[in-house]
Order: sequence, then C-alpha cells, then structure tokens
Amino acid sequence: MATLGIDGTGQRLLRRLNPGPGGWQVGLATVATVGVALGLSALLIAVTGGSPTASTKALYQGSMATPAAWSTSLLYVAPLLLVAVGACVSARSGFFNIGQEGQVLIGALAGAWVGLRLAVPGPLLLVLVLLASVVGAGVWAGLSALMYRFRGVNVVVSTMLMTFLAQQLISFAVNTPWLLQESRLGRGTLSPQSNPVPENARLASLGEYPNLQLNGGLVLAVVVAVVLALVMARTRWGFRLKMVGLNPAAARHAGVRVGALGGIALAISGALAGLAGALLLTSPVGTNRLQPGMSLNIGWDGLLVALVARNNPLLAIPVAVLFGVLRAGGSFLAATGVPSFLVDVVKALLVLAFVAPPVVIGMLRRRRLADQPATPTTPTTPTAAVASPEPGDPSVPATPTASVPNPRGTAPEPPDPGDAGTAGTKDAMEGRLA
Amino acid sequence: MDVDDQLTPALTLRGVSKRYGPVVACDAVDLAVRPGEIHGLLGENGAGKSTLMKILLGLVHRDAGTITRGTEPVEIDSPQVAADLGLGMVHQHFSLIEPLTVWENVILGDTGRIDRAAACAQVEEVSRRYGLPIDPHARIDRLSAGERQRVELIKCLRRDPSILILDEPTSVLTQAESAELFTVLRRVVQAERRAVILISHKLAEIMAATDRVTVLRRGAVAFHGATKDTTAQQLARQMVGREVSLQSESAALGLLPVERPEPVEGVAPAAGNAATPERPAALRLREVTLLVGGLPVLDKLSLDVAPGEIVGLYGVEGNGQATVGELLSGLLVPDSGTVELDGRPVDLVRPGALHTAGLGIVPEDRHHSGVVLDMSVAENLVMKSLAGVTARGVLSRRKMHRIAQRQMAEFNIVAPSPDTPLRSLSGGNQQRVVLARELSAGPKALVAAQPTHGLDVGAIEDMYVRLRQAAAEGVAVLLISTELEEVMALANRIAVISSGRIVGVLPTAEATAERLGMLVGGVSH
Repeated sequence: MATLGIDGTGQRLLRRLNPGPGGWQVGLATVATVGVALGLSALLIAVTGGSPTASTKALYQGSMATPAAWSTSLLYVAPLLLVAVGACVSARSGFFNIGQEGQVLIGALAGAWVGLRLAVPGPLLLVLVLLASVVGAGVWAGLSALMYRFRGVNVVVSTMLMTFLAQQLISFAVNTPWLLQESRLGRGTLSPQSNPVPENARLASLGEYPNLQLNGGLVLAVVVAVVLALVMARTRWGFRLKMVGLNPAAARHAGVRVGALGGIALAISGALAGLAGALLLTSPVGTNRLQPGMSLNIGWDGLLVALVARNNPLLAIPVAVLFGVLRAGGSFLAATGVPSFLVDVVKALLVLAFVAPPVVIGMLRRRRLADQPATPTTPTTPTAAVASPEPGDPSVPATPTASVPNPRGTAPEPPDPGDAGTAGTKDAMEGRLA
Repeated sequence: MDVDDQLTPALTLRGVSKRYGPVVACDAVDLAVRPGEIHGLLGENGAGKSTLMKILLGLVHRDAGTITRGTEPVEIDSPQVAADLGLGMVHQHFSLIEPLTVWENVILGDTGRIDRAAACAQVEEVSRRYGLPIDPHARIDRLSAGERQRVELIKCLRRDPSILILDEPTSVLTQAESAELFTVLRRVVQAERRAVILISHKLAEIMAATDRVTVLRRGAVAFHGATKDTTAQQLARQMVGREVSLQSESAALGLLPVERPEPVEGVAPAAGNAATPERPAALRLREVTLLVGGLPVLDKLSLDVAPGEIVGLYGVEGNGQATVGELLSGLLVPDSGTVELDGRPVDLVRPGALHTAGLGIVPEDRHHSGVVLDMSVAENLVMKSLAGVTARGVLSRRKMHRIAQRQMAEFNIVAPSPDTPLRSLSGGNQQRVVLARELSAGPKALVAAQPTHGLDVGAIEDMYVRLRQAAAEGVAVLLISTELEEVMALANRIAVISSGRIVGVLPTAEATAERLGMLVGGVSH
C-alpha cells in the first residue's frame, strides 16, 4: 500500500511500497493489458471508419493540449474523485455502496433547494449549499444502512435501487412549480429544470490566469482524499473499519459494533457523493441549474475510479485525473464526428485492463497452490527480532511422526498461503482424521 | 464369524484397510451385515466409521481387503456401483434443497421427464408403506428436523436399497422423533428383510435399537457381538478403553510431556474434589439454553471453572461443545441463562463485553473469528486493546511495533517482521498470535476451543505448556476438546457434554474409560 510513512525512513517506505510477491507480475501484466486495450480501441475506431491517429489527437487536444482543455478536464476530476473516495470508504468496510449516481443527484437537490430558497448573503450561502448536499445525501445513503439493520435488505441492492428513486425525485422537483421548477419569465414554455443558483452560491476559480481555471472544487476533493486516506491508515477508527471489512466476525469479537460502523461508512460514502453533486451544481461544469440529467454518470464513473484505484484514496487521485481527461477528450472527440459511445467503450476497455490482472494472477496463484500436494514446507525464516529457536519452533524438525501410526493425524503444517490453499490443507487434515 | 448364524450375510467386509499417509483410518476391519438385522456401528470421532462407510459407498478406495455382496466379491469404485448393489445411505447432515418441495427433493437426480403426479404418488406410497407420514407438496424449509429426516429416508427407501446405512440419524431429532425412527427401521428390517447399518455414538440407542454391534476404535474392530449379550458398560469400555496406553503412548509420540504439572499453591488437587466449593468460580455458565430451529443445542448447561484449574469440556462432536465455544466468543446469544465472570453476569449482546469482563478465548475456527488474515501480525496482536496504542484516536505505529515485538519474542511467534501479513504465517504461529493476544490482556478466564486442531507436534506441545502456565498463574482455563488424550493430559476435571447438557463432571484421576464412555454415550450414572 502506498500510504505515506511519516514515521519511517526511506527504507521503511520502500518496503511498504514493495508490492510483495507477485506485485511485479501484476504491474507487468497491467502494462500488457493496457496495451492490448489501447490496440483494441484503435482497431475499433478504424473499423467504424475513423482514423485512430486523428482520434487520439482529438482526444489529446480536447483534454490536455491547452490550459483551457486542462481546465475542462480538471472540472470533471473533482466530483469523480469525491465519489471515488466515498466508494473507497464504503468498500473498506465491506458495506458496498453502488448508489452514488442517485446520491449525487440527491446532493444536488438538497444544495439547489438551499441555494435557491435561503436568502443568505455572501459566501456563507455556498458553505450552506455544500453542507446541505453532504447531509442530504448522507442521510439518503444512511436509509440503506437502516434497511439493512432492521430488515436485512442487501446493501448493494438497496443503494442501487435508491438511485432510480432519486432520479424520479429530481424529476418531480423540477417539474413542480412550487418546488424547484424555474420561474416563468414572459410567455415561454417551462423546462424541467430549476433556476440557476445565485452567484454567491457558486464555486469560483482560484486566482486569475488567462484560459486556466483551477476550480475550488478540485482543491476540496484532493483535501478530502488525503484526509480520508490518513484517517483510514492512521486512526483507530480506520483500523476498525478495515477489520470490519476484512473479517466482521473477528471485529465483532474484538468489540466493534459492526453494523453501526458499516452504517457510518455508508453514510460517509453517500455524503461525499452528495458533495460531488453540489460541485456539479456550483462549479461551471453545467448550467448551475438542477436538471434531471445533471449527474452526467459521475456516480458510475466514480465507482470505476475506485475500482481501478483498488480502493486506495490516494491512488484514486491520478486515476480520477485519467478519467477526467477521458471525459473532456471524449466530448471533444464527439465534436469531431467520432461516435461518442466509442469513448465509453475505450473507457470500459481501460477499466478491464486495470482491474483484470490482479484478479487473474491471484486466481492462477491459488490454482497453483491448490494443485500442489499438501507437503510439509518450512515456514518463513525467523529474524533476529525473534528469540532463538525453541522446542515448539516448527522450523526445527520435531519428533518423527511418519513412522508411528498417529491417531491425531498431525503432520507438519504448511503455511496458510491463501483461501484455496487452506481449504486444500483442511481437506487433507479431515481426511486423516476421518 | 458367529457359528449360530444360518444366513448368508448381505454384505461382508474382510480385512478392509485404509491409510492416509501415516494415519491408519481403517485397520483390517471385518464386518458382516445380515439381512433382517440392524447392525450398530459404535465409535468415537476418528474411530474410522466414516471412512468405512465412504469405502462402502465408493467414495474412498480401500488399500486392502475384500468386500463380498451376498456370495460374490465386488469392487465398489464409484457411488453408482454402490447404488446398483443396493447400498443406500442417509447422511448425518441433510442434503435437501430447502426452497423446493418434498417430491422435488425426492426425485432430484433422476433423469428423464418429470412426472409430478407419479412422483407424488410414489412419495405417498413409500410414506404409507413405512409409516413416514409426509405431505409431498410441503416445502422443505417449513418442515421440522424430524420431518426432514423422513424425507431423507423416503429418498433412500424409494430406490429399494437392500442395505440401508444411517449416519448418526438422531443427532438432530427429539426423543420422540428418534423413537419413531427406530420403529420404522424395525419395520424395514423385519418385514422386508433388509439390512441396516446404524452408525452412532449413543449407547442407549445402540442398546435399544440394534441386533448386533461392532465397536471401532482407532480404525480397528475392538468388539463384535450380539447386542443382547453385551452391556452398555462393556461397550463404553470398548469404545473409549485406552486408559492403559494413554499416557505412555502419547509420550512415545512426543505429544505430551509425561509428568503431570504440580498443582499450584492454593489450588487443591482437584482429584476427589469435583465441586471445589470453597473457591468462587472465575467463569460460570448458569443454565444456558440455546435453541436452533426450536431444538435445544444447549440445554440448561451449567458449568463452573475456578481460578487456577483447567476444566476439560469433552464430548463427541455435535453435542454442543462447539456452540459453547461460539457463545463464549460472543458470536451467539443464549435464549436463556447467564455467563458470569467473577460472579458478575456479562451482557452478551454487547460486542466485546466478554473481553472487557476478562475472558480470553482461543476460538475453534481461528480464521473465522480469531484473526484477520489480511492484516499484519502486529495489527492482529493489538486489535483487542487499541486503547493502549492510540492517542486521541490516532494509532501509534511505534507503540504497536513495540508491543508486537515483545509478544512475538515472549510467545515464540516466528515471522519475518511484525508487518508480515498473518496469512503468510504457519497455522501454529497464527495460533500463537491468538494465544499471545488473549493471554497478554491478563484474562481472568481463558477458553481454548480445540486449540490444537490442525497444528504440528511442536505447536501442540507449546500450546499445552502455555495453557498449564496460564492455569498456574491463576487463570481459569476451560478446554473444549474432542480429543480425549488432550483433555486427560491437561485437565484437572473433565466435564462431559452430551446433547447440549453436562452429563457428568469427573476429576481426571477418576475418569476411567468406562465412566467416560457411559457419559459420552449420554448415560449419566
């Protein structure tokens, strides 16, 4: 894990960054699969009548070529990153939230209501808008936790289904004059959208540069990512969260209130998605109005960011940048005539390329271990930190058991290499005991 | 072979052996099952009953010996062959699909077109013939354990087996349901001249229901004869009977140190003083009842463990001792009754309450609730005492490392560093991590559930030394085990559990094979 070591020397840091056995294989395989994905994408563009080189160029121009293009890319990065960090938190707890798309909308709804209905002067309004979105979407996601707590409703299912509910709610809000539908000016027909939020409820750019805009939202998102990464890696709360995710039984055993902690993680994840929704409302990504389609699939894409970043909030930052670039470049590409859905296909291929290698290599490794007979192996060698070998040390060959009929069925145990390996060993053990 | 028998056995096994590596599961077993009789197969865990039956069903291949069906030698090399030979088995654990109906479960595995009416008719026909009333349209998940057992029986009997094998059929049944089952079996045997093999560890059942009995001990036939010519006491002795060999043989295997530990100061030699009334119990279970599906898994179980003593909770698997372990891990909440530590009842609903109250536990399945495999050794060592390594909610890695390193040295945990993921440690070292964490918390009582399961000899020895040491330091140790040697070697007193009840508590010195065997078989005094 690439958490930053504040108490460590360079050596410690290096050791922690060492991906461990198989890590380099995963890295190499990822490079290879990304290559394959890019090749396939080029092929796809060529087959559909486009020019791969021209498309690549368009993609680049739309996302990175100019400061203006970068500004657009980075506008997308902030909400993507927030959603992804939230997904990391909930995934860490084992309570998987996949309803970010709806939570983004609910956040935007709550923010828009506060922004349009409360007449508060100055930047305080912006703060209130952001707070409202956090609370609104946090409560919305918390409903799923309550459903799980009291009715045992699967969290994955309920968070996802709540997305559709959220979409209907937004639609209702912007079609209902007394709620949030835009006010009538003259005799024009009314669109299903709200009024734009006032100026003092919008996120401004930091500094004044020609063409380059660094939106405040990006800073907010990066700060949130770093803070949550530290909280998860360094605090007691983060420790418990990790325990709940990896082994709820052991966590409960150690005195953790598993349900409550999971519920909080779910609410945090929803709150961050809501904040992303507020950014979509208040930053110049869209029209500063509440609209049914304003979530722009940020909720789903943010999930993909977390997936590619393997639930590591810090790793999510560069991945979110990559996705933002693809988004901005994709819109530009569509403007040049290449069907925009191709960009989605490219994105999907890239996600697969990043996600598949560790899974496949893990599977191969497990199969290899399962194929091996449960032969006694010497466990890992002791270091100087450990006292000298003692009678119970398994690395010292103990009393010969092989020649004596042994009613216990004990054989020198192999180390537990993984689930499949353990299962194999267990079977062998039970066989002996039968 | 008995001379008084006129009939050709339906099935004869001669000299059947099976080894798994160095372990002999079946050692030249002879068994003859005659039509028209119920043949009891009695033995403890690991006596070789299951292996023998797996050989008969074609699931396991024997190393030596012959199997004769009627007069013809046969080779059972697959379950299909076993079925063709008329061997049918009802397994201990039901293999029914709960959301499906009775008739659907019964015809499961048939080929060809599904004929619902015919299937239902057949279920009804079989159920009438054997007195197994059941509604073919009922869903399995609505049925009681006894009714499910009936469905399993119908499934088996429908194929018209000439030899019916039942593996611990009463383990989930009530008294009345068991009696009913044996009536049906009697009918099957007498009216239709089928043969039944009844596998059980319950003496009363064997005495009441069988015509002949074979006792297996450590893979070999320890006793064989007509049930009416034997007594429960005799069977009990044969089933357990190894008091003579126990200490010396274990020592020869290097499993246990020969000498027993000296009782510590202030701890009365528990022998002859089972009640130890003068000392208050550190751990007390009071009338604990736990129901699963309406059946009591623990039935008003009461047990005391005093400081400084090791109490062995011994019994055949499936009699509730695993449940006691889970209860004391805080994973189950009893329906009634209390768990007390130092005289104070513990609120079992609150997570971690037992730990806070001073109960350490080495759980039976350490991967399930004992450790987090994907966390480091250090993290696993401190996970229950996070307060000691945090300041204002922030973890101190340095403190964690210091504590981990100290415990690793103290408990001989072999790992490259405290940061090593626990998954990469050997089972023995993982178990040492659990023990180190639990003992370092300074518990008043320690529960060790099957603490040496799957460990190598060195780790077992280490575990024994630690448990004795803990007891010597005044910790009340409850050892839950299905290994008699282990219990005999460690415990001051042995509490025998059967069907979720403590049927007797014996000082180890008075624990003879016969008395233990009777208790294990569910016969109290």
